[in-house]
Amino acid sequence: MIILVQNIARFIILILVQVFVLNNIRFSGFINPYIYILFILLLPVRFPRWLSLIVGFIMGLIIDSFTNTPGVHAFATVLLAYFRNPVIKAFLSIEEGANPVPGFYTFGVSAFVKYVVSLVIVHHTAFYFLEIFSFENAGLTFVRLLMNSVVTILIIFGIQSVKSGKS
Amino acid sequence: MRKLIAFLIKYSVVILFIALELLSFGLIVNNNGYQKSVFFSSGNTLLASFYEVSNSVVEYFFLRQANDGLSAENTQLKNEIVNLRNQLQSMTADSTVRKLKHPIDPQNEIAYIYAKVIHNSTNKMQNFITLNKGERDGIKVDMGVVNEEGVVGIVSKVTEKFSVVIPILNPKMQINSKFKKNNYSGPIVWDGKDYRFARLNDIARHVKFSLGDSLITSGYTYSFPEGILIGTVDDFTIKESDAYYNIRVQLAVNFRTLSHVQVINYLNYEEQHSLEQSVIQ
Repeated sequence: MIILVQNIARFIILILVQVFVLNNIRFSGFINPYIYILFILLLPVRFPRWLSLIVGFIMGLIIDSFTNTPGVHAFATVLLAYFRNPVIKAFLSIEEGANPVPGFYTFGVSAFVKYVVSLVIVHHTAFYFLEIFSFENAGLTFVRLLMNSVVTILIIFGIQSVKSGKS
Repeated sequence: MRKLIAFLIKYSVVILFIALELLSFGLIVNNNGYQKSVFFSSGNTLLASFYEVSNSVVEYFFLRQANDGLSAENTQLKNEIVNLRNQLQSMTADSTVRKLKHPIDPQNEIAYIYAKVIHNSTNKMQNFITLNKGERDGIKVDMGVVNEEGVVGIVSKVTEKFSVVIPILNPKMQINSKFKKNNYSGPIVWDGKDYRFARLNDIARHVKFSLGDSLITSGYTYSFPEGILIGTVDDFTIKESDAYYNIRVQLAVNFRTLSHVQVINYLNYEEQHSLEQSVIQ
């Protein structure tokens, strides 16, 4: 129950922060970190997979609506939600019956870092290539997605390291 | 059939995944479809109202730039008004009869220089104002300083980039003023008590005026052209034995909120000044 409320609150707060704060940064022209995916990343490990796909789709669509990029965020977020479980399986083994919320403490630092980095890169790659919708100037798109991934990852680690003390 | 159901259940997540991705992709491709683009976009009324709230907060951070822009525009418009007024005057019958080579009344040849107040005090006995424009912008000593409300003061010192103005709120400063309605003139001096009020001296007993009368610049100095508002009569007393009124003037300019001013550049200053000096010697 607490986890449900926590997740709903996280859903709303992340969307608001994303739309009203982070989308207005435009630091050095093209830094625009996408933190809202933290919601999908922090769903409990055994959260039903089909539901995470749908939630990811809805969340992406909401962000899309605010940024006038119909479908782009939705696509990237559904992709992220789909790859979440295989990535978790690849980096660590969860015991039967356990249902941890991803974090530095539950996953261990190295597994959590790998988990976040790989999924953020999956999401950002899909997003930036779909946003441009061409492979022209792929080099520039690549630079953009790398820089933004670094910023997003750093912010996510920042948030998590502040939080991990209490949970 | 059973096999098909088993297959669907087994791969339900993959099927859902593919379906959602196709849906998203369809949205991306059909970006131009009118109905979709209105619903899933910030044109949507609900989302637009979110943005409106956000904007109403954020716009305060940009007021400063907006102010700067408006002040610059104001100065430009004022210059234009002066030019047009001069043109108008040159076309009236009065001046054509005189057949002057000079079409504009010389005392009206002024231009405004826009400046921003970067330091200001109102609570001292001798207050000064610092402006962010100086010699290189054309400001010289003795130029008058006004804002949209009325007279601010007179430039007293100029460096290359800055200038210091003695405002009315300084006992060193005397501004020659006159009643708008009957032209009786007298100097306005600040008594150092309240930044909203100053005193008008030398108005003799026989002069008739009433509360609320406007006091404007007399035009007898180089600094200000005639007719700029200085303040209004707020209160006056006169004793039986006095020859002059004791008049309190409410100043037109609110010095507490002063931020943008215009410096008056009287274009014929040199000529008039040297002429008058030559007479004195």
